[in-house]
Amino acid sequence: MSAVTVTRSTGSIGDAESSEATWRPSRGLEPQAIAIETEHLSRTIVDRVLVSDITVQVQPGEVLAVVGPSGAGKSSLLRLLNRLDEPTGGTVRLKGQDYRELAPRELRRRVGMVMQMAYLFPGTVAANIAFGPWQCGEGLAAEQIDALLQRVGLPGYQERDVSNLSGGEAQRVSVARTLANVPEALLLDEPTSALDDVSARGIEDLVLTINRERRMTCVIVTHNTAQAHRIADRTMILQAGKLVAIGPTKEVLRDR
Amino acid sequence: MIAELLNTLHSNIVMGMAQAAGAITLCAAVVLLCRRFAVHVERETAISLGRGLVQMVFVGMVLAVLLHGNLLVGVLILLGMTFAAAVTASRRARDIKDSLLLSFYAIAAGSGVVIAAMLATGTLTADIAVLVPVGSMIIANAMNACAQSIERFRADVAAHVGQIEAGLALGADPDATVAPYVQSAVYASLLPRLDMLKSLGLVWIPGVMAGMMVSGASPVYAGIYQFIIVAMILAASGIAGLVVTLLMRMRAFSPASQLTLRPGERQQGPDRLAKRMPSPA
Repeated sequence: MSAVTVTRSTGSIGDAESSEATWRPSRGLEPQAIAIETEHLSRTIVDRVLVSDITVQVQPGEVLAVVGPSGAGKSSLLRLLNRLDEPTGGTVRLKGQDYRELAPRELRRRVGMVMQMAYLFPGTVAANIAFGPWQCGEGLAAEQIDALLQRVGLPGYQERDVSNLSGGEAQRVSVARTLANVPEALLLDEPTSALDDVSARGIEDLVLTINRERRMTCVIVTHNTAQAHRIADRTMILQAGKLVAIGPTKEVLRDR
Repeated sequence: MIAELLNTLHSNIVMGMAQAAGAITLCAAVVLLCRRFAVHVERETAISLGRGLVQMVFVGMVLAVLLHGNLLVGVLILLGMTFAAAVTASRRARDIKDSLLLSFYAIAAGSGVVIAAMLATGTLTADIAVLVPVGSMIIANAMNACAQSIERFRADVAAHVGQIEAGLALGADPDATVAPYVQSAVYASLLPRLDMLKSLGLVWIPGVMAGMMVSGASPVYAGIYQFIIVAMILAASGIAGLVVTLLMRMRAFSPASQLTLRPGERQQGPDRLAKRMPSPA
């Protein structure tokens, strides 16, 4: 597997092969990075507060880390952004538009989500990557699948059965599968928590590369403050579902 | 009618009770044998035998009255059986909203279509004495198929929540994310009935055929008729399994394509939340 290394300070790509493998969407259009705003976003289930009155703005092209202890509502917040769960209060705006005005399927294609576990579908890597476009009636050419796999550092993996992938490889396929939908923003729910250090750093570098290349807005949930330091422009801290701090990562995590 | 009933009861009751006493004696011998091996089921067996005898005598008396009724009475009996079957099947899905109604629709669709087809083709007569026993067999099997589908679909969805939500997060059609589990649920409802058809006559001779032969019907015709009944049971089970699975699939997602059929969550929660959402305007 070719390593893709990106230095946060310069954003330079250390692997020539990766830089050549920039994937372009089939429509020939680069999506515009979008702003994501939450307005008093809340979710309560049977008197249990998961997310409480969160109002934040994620700027276009920004990487925002969401940190906090277990049960703080980090993943719940991300699920609300993708509308996998329904808010009980407040809303989310994409480019200023209330996301409930969008069809849920369109919203989820525009705001891609990578989960904590890869959850690949049984079959080949190529079939997994083509799944999203296929679901909206679009095909994905073999060259586009090749380019996506190059982008995530798995060239030649098209016909591999997903049951034979390592955890790190599976998570990379999961990222490629999400990118195949040409999302305008990327939500990542602790994508490295189940991976070893080397694989985790590989995923971090990949996220940064994608963010740099496509100026894609990213929200990443992590319990690892060192990871937030490495990749996030800003960080927000959640506790018991409430926003307790938000700002530049170095400032917010200074004493942590 | 009452006089006829009393006459029937009087002529058969002595012989029936003697036969029942013989059966009870054999059971008592088995209980004594168990006791020698420190298996104590005396009290439970006595209660079960007593209850069983009283219940069956009571049911027999009720049926003796009802079997003299017309087609409407027969239909009402079958509807009552369908409701009872729905109550039993829906116990597997207590946390699913309106599970009783879903089960009732499925069992009624499966058994209703098949019984109507049998009546229309003359395979089944409108005689209540034939309609009710054959109908009850079909309803009972539709109930089992319904329960098996519910169980399988719930278990598969619960085991694959991550994959289903991964599909939803990619913008997939909710129906597509559970398609494999719909297939396996319907298959699960059909499999026992398919096995039943395969083993028909080889492993077991079902009650209808045995009953027809005892009452003097041609064994070949009895065999063919039994095949028709089992084939109809397969059809009713397939319809019931398919209908309940598709109805459950509809209930598995909210209007905003969110998975609501989750392990450990009562289903009305997310629906209620979705309704509570203020409109974007």
